[in-house]
Amino acid sequence: MESTISLKLKGKGKGSKGASSSDDKSKFQVVKEWSNWSLKKAKVATHYGFIPLIIIIGMNSDPKPHLFQLLSPV
Amino acid sequence: MAGLSPPIWTPQDDAKTKVDEKVDYSKLPCPVIYEELHREAFMSLKPELFEGFRVDFNKMMNQKFFFSHNLLMGPTEIPSRTPGKILKVSSSNYEFGANFYDPKFMLMGRITMDGKLNARAKCDLTDNFSVKANAQLTSEAHKSQGLFCFDYKGSDYRTQVQLGNGSLFSANYIQHVTPHLSLGGEVFWIGEQRRSGVGYAARYETDKMIASGQVASSGLAIMNYVQKVSEKVSLATDFMYNFLSRDVTTSVGYDIILRQCRLRGKIDSNGVTSAYLEDQVSMGLRLLLSAEVDHVKKDYKFGLGVNVG
Repeated sequence: MESTISLKLKGKGKGSKGASSSDDKSKFQVVKEWSNWSLKKAKVATHYGFIPLIIIIGMNSDPKPHLFQLLSPV
Repeated sequence: MAGLSPPIWTPQDDAKTKVDEKVDYSKLPCPVIYEELHREAFMSLKPELFEGFRVDFNKMMNQKFFFSHNLLMGPTEIPSRTPGKILKVSSSNYEFGANFYDPKFMLMGRITMDGKLNARAKCDLTDNFSVKANAQLTSEAHKSQGLFCFDYKGSDYRTQVQLGNGSLFSANYIQHVTPHLSLGGEVFWIGEQRRSGVGYAARYETDKMIASGQVASSGLAIMNYVQKVSEKVSLATDFMYNFLSRDVTTSVGYDIILRQCRLRGKIDSNGVTSAYLEDQVSMGLRLLLSAEVDHVKKDYKFGLGVNVG
């Protein structure tokens, strides 16, 4: 039991040391990760929302078309 | 990326110091956009040929906003392992599009049944500066492409900067140096493929003819010439040479524009003859006939289409 506890404490100590050195480098990494994340979300948003956006802008332009013109095939 | 011409960079000093003081060089017209340097030749010699049956229906909601429904049923080529053999698979594709065209603001989106979105947006921020964006988005990972362009139009020059995904950067510049001649250059850099290049272009136009040429460090040299024989008929010829792969293609074609129809035909040095007819049958209804016959590969493509609205 004591040996396992001491092993665990050692492991935690090493882990915290590792985190502090990576903190200095991680500012650039954080910016890169955030920009990747935002680009991915922007891509998904554009993929699903671009055509609905055009429809909304078009339906609000004047002369304002009717909703039934949107749905009817003629 | 399709449509990416090799970039070429002429320092601005060279182009502008050529100006003498005989013609009114301070009032030269604005040149065409660099990408549309070969516009007349490409419009005459490269119509949108297709194979199969095609229906394009544009439903106008108001002057600026309309939906487009495009259906193409026909064979599509799939890459074949044995060279010289062409494999075709019949397929049918439907594409739905929403378009909004304002003088200063344009949006276009088309989506296919596979979920592939083709989106374009253009905004004129001022009279001289405009921003364009172009994207092809798919659900497959890493297959999507996006491009931003910033265009500035001066009194007798145009300049454009493009930024795209895959670390693509390109800049081009074109300047009218005499009332008929405009020269331009372009430079590009693609980070992902570790490629970069430079290109030069020139365009000489009068009322009766247009000659243009382009050379690029990616190995491409293009020259073309369009002669306007009359108001209705123009003849065009085109020469493309790739000096890295030693590939040469030349074509000669004609373009006849009548009141109700437009006929374009061309013959190629690869043994391909093609023709494209658009006939305005009545108000709002157009009939399209397309034919492309490749005598060397024995590939025959015929298409029939209807364009409504």
